[in-house]
Amino acid sequence: MKVFIDPPNSLILFDLVERFGHEPLSSMAAIQNKIDNVEVDMPPMNLTLEDVIKGLKYAGVEVPSGVRGRLSLWGPMIEEADAAIIMLDPPFNFGCVGCERSNEMVKYLIKRRGIPSISVNYPNNEEEAKATVGQIKEFLEGLK
Amino acid sequence: MSEERETRIFMISPESMITPDQLVRTIHAMGKEVTVKETCYGCLVEGSRDLVKDILAEVRKKHPYEIFSKVRAYPAGDPRRCRAQHGTRPGYAQLEAEWQALPWVQNGLMCADKGEKYKLPEEKKQFSAEKFKKICEAKE
Repeated sequence: MKVFIDPPNSLILFDLVERFGHEPLSSMAAIQNKIDNVEVDMPPMNLTLEDVIKGLKYAGVEVPSGVRGRLSLWGPMIEEADAAIIMLDPPFNFGCVGCERSNEMVKYLIKRRGIPSISVNYPNNEEEAKATVGQIKEFLEGLK
Repeated sequence: MSEERETRIFMISPESMITPDQLVRTIHAMGKEVTVKETCYGCLVEGSRDLVKDILAEVRKKHPYEIFSKVRAYPAGDPRRCRAQHGTRPGYAQLEAEWQALPWVQNGLMCADKGEKYKLPEEKKQFSAEKFKKICEAKE
């Protein structure tokens, strides 16, 4: 099954989803498609007109362009996904780099689609990691 | 056989005794037609998708808990990303943060395979408005 991961470029989530026998939908694959097939100078920083139109499907014109840009990549993946795993409060998602509004929007889009999803904590110690990995394993094995 | 390019990051958990050099030699010894680039955190492997997947399966078989992997969008040594050519390197701060958490995840995987029970984290509750009001109105 195709599993959307949030943060969409997380190494830990990508690895775990693959390990437990599913296909992770990540931003890396979407960006690679642009690198290999579309002549854009430096994706995902630079977009095409089509991307802007795609982004408008998920966020209105009054929303900051960064949010729409991110959603033009992540939105189609959420539509394609059969399930989703959301990691809460990763340290690198804080501040302007992480764009909390985009993350909120992603959570909303997943909820609106109604696909099976799970929210886990970002591991900050051994006990938390045990729970996070255990929860993800149970969730992914239940999808089969 | 899929000829589509796949570039993969192989990241070694900081708790592991494997060095990037050992990992690169192991992959070279598999004799597959792929490019392997040694990095500070492990290595980058680039080649056709099926070959890279075979390598991943073999590496996982040999080191089930110590090596983590994800695909990378840009090819290895791409001037837009490569350190040698002063490329911008966005995403490395995130990789570093996740690298620090890998020993815990490694331990979590071992416990999950043994079927050990885990304690579910407590759900975060909303901070009560009353308490917040008290803090705001508190005099020093």
